[in-house]
Amino acid sequence: MSYLFLHLKREFGFLLRQKYLVVLLLCTFAVSAFAVISGLSEVSQQRETIERLKSADLTERLNVQTQQTDAGMLAYYTFHLTYSAPSNLAFAALGERDIYPWKHRVNLLALEGQIYESDAQNPELAQAGKIDFAFVLSALAPLIVILLFHDLFANERTSGRYDLLVTTSSSYFALWGARILVRFILLLVCLMLPFYGGAYVAGSSIYDVLLITTMCVAYLVFWAALCIWMGKQASSAPRVASALIGIWVLVAFIIPILGDLAINKIVHSPKGGEIVLTQREAVNDAWDLPKQITMDAFVASNPQWKDHVDMQSEFEWKWYYAFQQVGDEKAAELSHAYRDAARKKYQLAGMVSWFSPALLLQRSLTRKAKTDAIAAFRYEHQIRGFHKCLREFYYPWLFIKGEPTKAALNNMPSFSKTILNEKDEPEVIGVQLK
Amino acid sequence: MTTSTAINQRSPIEPQRVEQTRNKASNTTQATKNEAVIEVDSLNFSIKNNIILKNLSFSVAAGEVYALLGGNGAGKSSTLKTLLGFNKPNKGSVKVVGKEVSKALDFVRGKTAYLPESATLYPHLTARENVEYFLSLADIKKSDEQINAAFNRVALQQDAWDRNMQTYSKGMRQKTAIALAILREAPIFLLDEPTSGLDPVAIDEFNQLVRELALTGATILMVTHDVYGACQVANRIGLLKNGELVGEFNAPENGRINTEQVHAAFGDYKSRGN
Amino acid sequence: MSINNVSKVVLIAKDEWRYWLRSKLAVTVLAIGLILTLSSVVVTAITMLELSHTRHELQTTSDKSFVDQPDRHPHRMVHYGHYAFRTPAPLSTLDPGIDAYTGNSIFLEGHRQNSAMFADSRQGTALTKLGSLTPAFIVQTLAPLLLILIGYSGISRERESQTLSYLLSQGTSGVTLIAGKGLALLSVVGLILTPLTVSALFTLGTDESLLAVVSFVVGYALYLTVWVLLILLASSVFSKNSGSFTALAFVWILLCIVMPRVASTTAAIVVPSAGKIETDFAVKADLRKLGDGHNTNDPAFEQFKQSLLKKYNVNSIDELPVNFRGLVASESEAKQTEVLNQFAQQRMQAELKQTQVSRYFGWVSPMVAIRSLSMIVVGTSIETHHRFLRETEQLRFDFVQGLNKVHIEELDYQDDMNRNADAAATKKARVSADNWKILQNFTFHSDSALVRAHRSTSAFLQLLLWIAVLAGGIKFVGKRLL
Repeated sequence: MSYLFLHLKREFGFLLRQKYLVVLLLCTFAVSAFAVISGLSEVSQQRETIERLKSADLTERLNVQTQQTDAGMLAYYTFHLTYSAPSNLAFAALGERDIYPWKHRVNLLALEGQIYESDAQNPELAQAGKIDFAFVLSALAPLIVILLFHDLFANERTSGRYDLLVTTSSSYFALWGARILVRFILLLVCLMLPFYGGAYVAGSSIYDVLLITTMCVAYLVFWAALCIWMGKQASSAPRVASALIGIWVLVAFIIPILGDLAINKIVHSPKGGEIVLTQREAVNDAWDLPKQITMDAFVASNPQWKDHVDMQSEFEWKWYYAFQQVGDEKAAELSHAYRDAARKKYQLAGMVSWFSPALLLQRSLTRKAKTDAIAAFRYEHQIRGFHKCLREFYYPWLFIKGEPTKAALNNMPSFSKTILNEKDEPEVIGVQLK
Repeated sequence: MTTSTAINQRSPIEPQRVEQTRNKASNTTQATKNEAVIEVDSLNFSIKNNIILKNLSFSVAAGEVYALLGGNGAGKSSTLKTLLGFNKPNKGSVKVVGKEVSKALDFVRGKTAYLPESATLYPHLTARENVEYFLSLADIKKSDEQINAAFNRVALQQDAWDRNMQTYSKGMRQKTAIALAILREAPIFLLDEPTSGLDPVAIDEFNQLVRELALTGATILMVTHDVYGACQVANRIGLLKNGELVGEFNAPENGRINTEQVHAAFGDYKSRGN
Repeated sequence: MSINNVSKVVLIAKDEWRYWLRSKLAVTVLAIGLILTLSSVVVTAITMLELSHTRHELQTTSDKSFVDQPDRHPHRMVHYGHYAFRTPAPLSTLDPGIDAYTGNSIFLEGHRQNSAMFADSRQGTALTKLGSLTPAFIVQTLAPLLLILIGYSGISRERESQTLSYLLSQGTSGVTLIAGKGLALLSVVGLILTPLTVSALFTLGTDESLLAVVSFVVGYALYLTVWVLLILLASSVFSKNSGSFTALAFVWILLCIVMPRVASTTAAIVVPSAGKIETDFAVKADLRKLGDGHNTNDPAFEQFKQSLLKKYNVNSIDELPVNFRGLVASESEAKQTEVLNQFAQQRMQAELKQTQVSRYFGWVSPMVAIRSLSMIVVGTSIETHHRFLRETEQLRFDFVQGLNKVHIEELDYQDDMNRNADAAATKKARVSADNWKILQNFTFHSDSALVRAHRSTSAFLQLLLWIAVLAGGIKFVGKRLL
């Protein structure tokens, strides 16, 4: 033990004397800390936004309820907040939340007309990409590893110290083992320390933190081993680094880009605009169609209301909402195809990521942090489920009972309750998710 | 400059003294002749189809200074590298203290102190820090006094001890490396062209040091193309040509050189031999 | 510089080329660089052309389906709405910019300002988060790396092999030597920029102005020149190849990979912007004060009613020569739009401010500078997106008010009030489909090249400052080269 410690201590002191390594490690720490702090601030902003929205949503709903009593008007004017709160790990992997919306307000009108509204952030900032811990780790850390490890052997060779070092050291470990270990440990500390701080602040579970640590260590070991293996016989440090950076470019850019091109060729997805257009046409045409046609189509998919579809006047809310739903149903096929295509793409991207460790790690981290496309699909699924609850709530009043009672309004479905009651994970990409 | 002060402080070592010390060493060599510390027996080494060493055999005993003399590309460095375990022999054996080098690498390296041709240590560290660093690599702990003593012994001027080695001349670097070798207390020294690039005074100082080390019972193998230096410091000289040992003789008394034999190892050997 | 020196510079550059052509690494790097640039130009051009075609087609379909609607109550057409599509700027084949992140279509209807929809990125694979095969990305991020790989040893190699002192002792000045190496690297820059320039010149045929094309190409040339200078400086300062390489690789990571993201993250933190949903609450609160345009009995319109009665000198709204419901709809649309525009303006201001903060980072990273410059000049920056939003808003307001005018003038008030009595009454409360022709053709054009060029001034200045500082540094080092 003391043997190990002595050698590590010496190499630690030795490393501290090499200024560029110290600068490199300090920069790594600074970038990692910046990523974690900005991630925390982003997540807390998202949480605050959700809280503000919740209270504003409630105020507005109560406001509407004092002004409107008719079920149809209530359904028209009452919007319901849905949201997907960031997880305790989201600070480390902000993931796709800048592209996929994590907040929506819906009313009883056709959902297909509402669900594609995006409340995206500044697109120019989104295009530059945000710096989060997952990015630092998956994209940046390999480069740091390359800079730290590529010249381990070559540097000593070109300086003519290699033979002397090897013949002097008492064992392979005493020299290379200790050097590698010290560099690795210091890098790990610089990268992970901010993450642990962030995890503590965000209250992430120990299990998740350990799991992520394991993933990170495995990933960094992979890159370090690659660097050491490539550098072992080499005598020109820049040559080794060029080859390593080439591999990095291949893994981080080229493979994902080619995968993206291939996937977009393989998977055909309907144009998003078509869904809304179809739904829109259906809803608008309904105004000019004989009411019976709309009601028949509605009853076909909702037989429980078949005894209540007769109309007394040219405009009735139940007919209005029925054609909204029929509009959704007309667009359903396209909408399914659209979602299936997105899922298929995600699945295929998963296959591509096996060829790119950087992607694999990024995907694993965003999956753990529930900030990936799957989480977004799931949220969309929840919105659809919630919209169905809304219909189930309003329809009895619209079709049979008339004005909803105060008690009923108090028990109106809310998104928070719906997701709390959700027992089973929805089937999102064809397989049951854990 | 530092070198000039060295000259002033230490007068060139008289040949007489060198001679004396060497004779003493030869005596001890006689006594321990049977205990060969380095044994190279019919060593063959080639890289791809390129034969580097051919049937090379020689041995060095404790207290002996053996110089392997040869021109460029004669196979001197390859022999050293094989002794250090960097090259694996294709045939034959290379033993140090009775152990096959390739089978007891750490043991052999623990017993040998190697002095590379251009002894570059870490330029961003001081001589003392370098020595401490390398000693620690070898699991050796030395006190400051012991290190000071070693520096004194190799005549490294005191004001340079705690200066970054960036500023060192080649001779000073060499001295530091020897101090390191001495501090390792290894019984075997492998010296690669130790005097190339040194000024005459430094060469004399170095030769004196090598003789003293041999007196303490160290086994010293040096490879060099410096005929005169080899004759001055070695007890025995092996002549290496195209990977073969073409001659081995005891160093001439009074440093007089048998030019016949020397030429055999160098350039005009070819014209004669063929 | 004398003729003699110039010929020396050329000689050194030629020699550098010979070295590259004999080195496997340099040849590989050059080949990869050219393949990447070429393929990115081709792939992106095809994608953007397809996109442009689709959008054009969708716009035509959308226009046609609006005009083809049957006789209807005009307010129904207000809610039927209309789609506007943004055709990409010609140069966006080289830098799609924020195109994939903003929706490219927008649904226009009465009483609402919708956000753009269907951003391509939502149907993405999330594979291209780090970079995509666009010429902009390749030249901004990868080209500097390629330049580093072939150029890092330019001077340090001569020093390491001790040919440097030989060259200098023969009367070649340090500055001449560096200039020669620089010329060689600049010729590589020219090689990389050729596909880009050719492709950019093609856009002249599709309506792009020469000014934009020139500023685009010059911008990239300046950017890569910054890198050439950085490489020369590092290569001159470091005594060893490995030192020069490590330093350059580190600088590349910092400037090209880290900085752009630090810029955007900082901008988002420094200027927090409320999302649309959140501002919608405030918008709705303000709108509620204006009254519901569907409900003529809303007390908010009492004053408006009185002023109308006075204007037409009648006693009740039934006696008005025009349709009161239409008037209310028109009046409330105008007032609502005012409020909506005010909030939209605020939002755009906040986004501009954010973008501005991130663009300040161009002073510390040439990559950030060229990124902004490129998107601005091409017309795929946030400003263009805002312009699209403003233009479509105008389009929306015009067609909605056009329909309201039809409502006021063509539809009888009594028929309108009785529209839900029975099927016949509903049928009566309609106007002819001929009225739908009020829709104007919509084609989106980005800002004029002059406006774009003007907007990119500070990015140009950022690059020029980098060049000035680096050139000064090189001159200083060149005179002391050893």
